[in-house]
Amino acid sequence: MIAPPESGTIYIVDDDLSFLKSISRFLRASGYRVQTFESAEEFIQQLAPEMSGCVLSDLQMPGLNGLELQAALAKSANPLPVVFISAQLDIPKTVQAMRGGAEDFITKHSSKEELLDAVRRALERGAQERNERERVKKIRARVERLSGRELEVLEQVVRGGMNKQISANLGIALRTVKLHRTNLTRKLQVQSTPELTRLAEELGLFTHDKSP
Amino acid sequence: MQQAFQMELEKLSTAKIDFFEEQLDTGHFTDKEHFKIFTDYLGKKYTQKDLDLIMVFPSGNYALAGALPDALFPEVPVVFAAVNDLEVPYDIGKLGVTGIIQRNDVRGTLGLILRLQPETHEVVVIGGKSEMDGKSLSRVIKTAQGLEEVQFKFWTNQPMAELLTTVKLLLPGTAILLSSFHRDASGEPYSTAQVAQMLAPLASVPIYVMNGMAVGSGAVGGVVADSQALGERSGQLAFKVMGGIKPESAPMEVETKGTPMVDWRALQHWHISDNRIPSNCLVRYRPNTLWGMHRNLIVFILAIFVMQTATIVGLLAQRRRRHEAEREVLAQRMELAHVTRVSTLGQLTAMLAHELGHPLGAILRNTEAAEIFLKKEPPELEEIRTILEDIRKDDQRASRVIDRLRSLLKRRSLELKTLDLGELLYEAVTLTKPDARAREVNLILSLPPKLPPVYGDRIHLQQVLLNLIINGMEAMAEVEKSGRQLTISAEIKNNGQVEVGVSDCGQGIPPDKLKQLFQPFFTTKPGGMGMGLAICKTIIDAHGGTIGGENNVPHGAVFKFTLPPQPSNL
Repeated sequence: MIAPPESGTIYIVDDDLSFLKSISRFLRASGYRVQTFESAEEFIQQLAPEMSGCVLSDLQMPGLNGLELQAALAKSANPLPVVFISAQLDIPKTVQAMRGGAEDFITKHSSKEELLDAVRRALERGAQERNERERVKKIRARVERLSGRELEVLEQVVRGGMNKQISANLGIALRTVKLHRTNLTRKLQVQSTPELTRLAEELGLFTHDKSP
Repeated sequence: MQQAFQMELEKLSTAKIDFFEEQLDTGHFTDKEHFKIFTDYLGKKYTQKDLDLIMVFPSGNYALAGALPDALFPEVPVVFAAVNDLEVPYDIGKLGVTGIIQRNDVRGTLGLILRLQPETHEVVVIGGKSEMDGKSLSRVIKTAQGLEEVQFKFWTNQPMAELLTTVKLLLPGTAILLSSFHRDASGEPYSTAQVAQMLAPLASVPIYVMNGMAVGSGAVGGVVADSQALGERSGQLAFKVMGGIKPESAPMEVETKGTPMVDWRALQHWHISDNRIPSNCLVRYRPNTLWGMHRNLIVFILAIFVMQTATIVGLLAQRRRRHEAEREVLAQRMELAHVTRVSTLGQLTAMLAHELGHPLGAILRNTEAAEIFLKKEPPELEEIRTILEDIRKDDQRASRVIDRLRSLLKRRSLELKTLDLGELLYEAVTLTKPDARAREVNLILSLPPKLPPVYGDRIHLQQVLLNLIINGMEAMAEVEKSGRQLTISAEIKNNGQVEVGVSDCGQGIPPDKLKQLFQPFFTTKPGGMGMGLAICKTIIDAHGGTIGGENNVPHGAVFKFTLPPQPSNL
């Protein structure tokens, strides 16, 4: 039973070396890419933006524990999804983990199906989030290429201004407004004004009211 | 006799009595001139005294002795105690006079002679020539007439010089009975006791007397007046008279029965066996045996010895009972120790999950991986081989955990052995590490480079350590994570004892609770049973060590226990 290789790597963090070895062996045999870390600190140290996949972490560890690892990861530039794998079910800690955005919470003797399901879901979510992040990043890069005047026009458009109003507000010719709008849609690779509005919303552009 | 009289009277009377004593040698000074001297002297001496009673113990010249009180103090009642009815200085029935008369017990004395010397067939009676001697002798003669088994000879006409010779010549089977002797045939005055003293060393046969005063002068003995009893009885009579009874209405008492009395030295001299002595006989001059001399002391010492023995036996029994009770208490405590140990282990949930959950989880994942490797074409046998190796290791690891738990869960009594303390502490830390991790407590083991071996029970000491460590960790639940530090340390004290300390950084112990810490059912934890520290104390006590808890500086509490390095006397 070879699972279809999901995109990304499973980063396993556990201080129990014997368990670390066995679970990585099993996941590797199941067709996953695996990387092991003996402590949360070691993992955080090696965390890089290009790393993709999910984290499978023990909850109780000396030094940084699983929950702290999760918190540190969430603040980082690469917030990989986390699956906790604990020696025992600890309800308060489970609640805390799930609130912190944990993908799943399984025990060390959960069945392999549970384990594989959790891992698969985490990898999928990881991949999705990664794709989303990359898409947003690309759009952001495009927005960054806009000129100052183009940004001003974009803001007026997003706020629902008609060309005439924009022309009046910005004090520029109607023809110039139309030219900027054409450039905007070309540079941001959008087809329509609603699309332009959604993009700006997605990026969180113009949330601060600059104009009266 | 006088002493017995005085004591009896004092005993009976509640008021204080003054006694005045006058010794008048009326035996030697019988003339009227001396009588006048006596009356003048005594009359002047007692003129200021209001006498209640005159007590007369006549001796010597009885007539003179009897006449004196009459001449001096005619109004004062007189009581006398006389040792022979022949010596009574008054007519019976005289006004203001009463008394006790002890007659010579001739019959009794003759009976004593035959008792002590059954072979006696002849009694030589020696008596004086005075009027009184004659009266006394006539009484002996009268009694002798009633006895047919013994022949009597009466020697009354010999001067002393002759007597001293003739007593040497008496043959065995003869006894001498010395009657009253106040004057010999030549007219020389003597006293009966004096005569006995002169004759006894010379006589070839034993001498018997009827006068108590003569016992001790060399005579074997006789049935004599018991001066003690006579004194007491005269005291009783005097008390009655002083109480107001008219002397003439209190009848004079006449006593004919005397008390057998023998001189032990004379019995030995004549080879008279002790078993012939009548049971009521007073034996005088017996050399004091240790028993005789110190009877009271010996009895006292023996009593003390017996009491001491009884006390020791009692104490031993008590000690045994106490030991049994202590053993029972210890057994019960050990039982309880087992229960609390089980509950202590129950508290180590993270330890159980970690120590068992990890290897079991690893085994599970390994077998699943092996299944995958088996299904491959061709199967990855090398991979499977290393997996099996890992499975074995994890299985062994789990087994060790179970073994360790089982040894901790086993119901058992104390088994003292020489232990490596460092190893013991390390083991305790290993057991509690997963829990420390779960509670995010930093466990620090601080040991000197070299620790002496200790003598103790591994499991029970482990229990103490687990208890103290868990308590310490629980005490820090409210403390900021970075401050949760538990230090387990060991130190060698100057007296060779090893001291183990478990110190936390928690709230510390309220000072008013410090004393109760080790009492059963004392707890500061909401769900606590209050047995943990009490059991710890029992265990450490059983090891001959001490345990105590105090507050640490600057914060937290520290529990310390000591263990003796040498096998204690347990």
